[in-house]
Amino acid sequence: MHKTKLGILGVVSLAAVLVLGLTAGAGSARPTKGHKIFFLPKLIGVNVFTENGKGAKEAAAKLGESVTYNGPTEAVAAKQVPFIDAAARQGYNAIVISANDPNAVAPALKRAQQRGLKVISYDGDVRKDARTIFVSPPKASDIGAFQVEWMGAQIGYRGQIAIVSATPTAANQNTWIKFMKQTLKKPKYKRMKLVKVAYGNDNPTDSAKETQALLRAYPNLKGIIAPTTVGISSAAQVLDQSRKCKAVALTGLGLPNQMRKYVKKGCAKRFGLWNERDFGYLATYVASLVLDGKLSGKLGQSFTAGRLGKRTVVKSDGNSPVVVLGKPLVFTRANIDKYNF
Amino acid sequence: MKRLLLHLLFRWELLLVVAIVGVSIWSAHLSPFFFTRVNLLDLATPYVFIGLLAFGLTFVVIAGEIDISVVSTLAVSVVTFAQLFDHGVNVWVAAVGGLAVATGLGLVNGALVGILNLPSLAVTLGTLAAYQGLAFVILSGEGVATFPQNYLNIGGGYIRNELPIALVVLLGAALVLGILLHATRFGRYVYAIGSNREAARLSGVPASRVRVTVFMLSGFMAGVAGMTYVGFFGSARADAGQGSLLDVVTAVVLGGVDIFGGSGSMLGVLLALILVAVLRNGMQLANLGGDTQNIVIGCLLLAAIIAGNLIRAAQAGAIKPALLRLRRRGVIRTDDAPAAAVAAEFESQTPKGR
Repeated sequence: MHKTKLGILGVVSLAAVLVLGLTAGAGSARPTKGHKIFFLPKLIGVNVFTENGKGAKEAAAKLGESVTYNGPTEAVAAKQVPFIDAAARQGYNAIVISANDPNAVAPALKRAQQRGLKVISYDGDVRKDARTIFVSPPKASDIGAFQVEWMGAQIGYRGQIAIVSATPTAANQNTWIKFMKQTLKKPKYKRMKLVKVAYGNDNPTDSAKETQALLRAYPNLKGIIAPTTVGISSAAQVLDQSRKCKAVALTGLGLPNQMRKYVKKGCAKRFGLWNERDFGYLATYVASLVLDGKLSGKLGQSFTAGRLGKRTVVKSDGNSPVVVLGKPLVFTRANIDKYNF
Repeated sequence: MKRLLLHLLFRWELLLVVAIVGVSIWSAHLSPFFFTRVNLLDLATPYVFIGLLAFGLTFVVIAGEIDISVVSTLAVSVVTFAQLFDHGVNVWVAAVGGLAVATGLGLVNGALVGILNLPSLAVTLGTLAAYQGLAFVILSGEGVATFPQNYLNIGGGYIRNELPIALVVLLGAALVLGILLHATRFGRYVYAIGSNREAARLSGVPASRVRVTVFMLSGFMAGVAGMTYVGFFGSARADAGQGSLLDVVTAVVLGGVDIFGGSGSMLGVLLALILVAVLRNGMQLANLGGDTQNIVIGCLLLAAIIAGNLIRAAQAGAIKPALLRLRRRGVIRTDDAPAAAVAAEFESQTPKGR
């Protein structure tokens, strides 16, 4: 009997260690005077979302609320749902979410709403009936048009271009691409030809592979637009390594810190983004105002969002109600050192 | 008598129950909401599709093979279903279509493994990627989310506003598949092939046919999982099921199914699924991020494999000689009392002059 016991003992002690270890590491939310807000990004471990989280904490500290920032490691809606359910069970007052799929998280968010939680979506919107208000990055039409202009200015408004997007299911990516295509129809951009939309799945390896494939398939390619921070930094790396920075222009949405060395090498002359820290700050500010009953999401309501100043609830790109962050920021060699995120 | 009692006491399933209770106590300590009836009933619903995938995979693993393509098969069945529905097919007929396609994909795996005798890990790694690609071909973009409520109920509805229908689906599947595995000739064939394929074949088991069938069953269950998945999430997209393979394989191996085939029980897999669900839920309540959660589940999977191997070694009587060898080499010091005692006992039993 000794022998079986030995194995069993091993398993039980392993399990015990596991459970004890977890309890020790558990950073359970501290009770504070204000509201408890759960900040749920598409995935964790990615710079933009980390920045959003920092902004959220900054706003919370100013407002006397507490924020928990947590999420899955893969950008998959099914993995966000357990976080939503857990937030509702733990007695959080609000969820601020950037959704991986506007529909798949909706049933869980509605369950949370039934328990009295307020839901604010930002960045990746959810179905309208599952949230109070959407905090939007700069208007999708602006983001699409700006990127086409940043590209056109670099290549003299003519030649083949391609897009390196994130996943084919990402709602924001698809909307921006739609507006890029609309912009390309304007006379000014008529001679720019979009030859391919590739998907790097917001994964550095996949994005690099897709960029290499584009360079092979289209030897006359003049430019790449990557409306994703992972995509643009991977594309910059590939262009740099294959010494194509002069031949192929690069623009899109990127983080200044990730792109700084490529900007200085001339691999990306002009790209943009919005201030990700401000984005998290604004979303949390909106959540707090909704919790205080000062904001209900009615069109035309206006409020002051701390250091960001006055904001108004508007209808944007067919989405309503929306609070818009502002115009995109443009980064060039001249100004990139002013930003640190 | 004492021996029998101990044997019953140290069943793998019992260990799982102990672990579930342990994790539940820990969870209750983290959140006052844990031990409410609604929470306990709701706890498993996000993991129902993982359980259905694991049940199908159980047959494959007991037969001595592996099928890691199940998550992609789920995705293809989901998008096929969505496209049929989007093109005006009745939602229930479309669901049958989704199931049929999933079973067909299982048949492809089965034919490659069971008839052409290719290694299942390589085959299903290939189809994992190929089926995933196929899913995006069938339905790219934002997916379909306009399913009628009476369909969505199978994944997200409740009986009497309290008992999740998905849970009933899960338990029903466990029961039916448990009977198929433990109380039919087919089930016995699966075990026989997993224990020793050649011996099974020589004693008249239709090995190829059974091996093809287990892969078809695994595909079919991926379809069932897919149909429930749509019910729960209310959305059908090509990325359905992505990122859930770790939990599926963990549920099977942690359930006591021998990764080398030949043994395992449906009850064990069901309990392991509950353990994974409770543990994930607990980690969620402790605000652990997805990264930490994956480390824990990954370690749990490793621990289950190691423990399973230790137990099998113990049953085969291989532990004592191994300890003895280690002691002789000086790996275990003589002041390591329990090990020394075991080794000494073994030595005293070993006939002299060997």
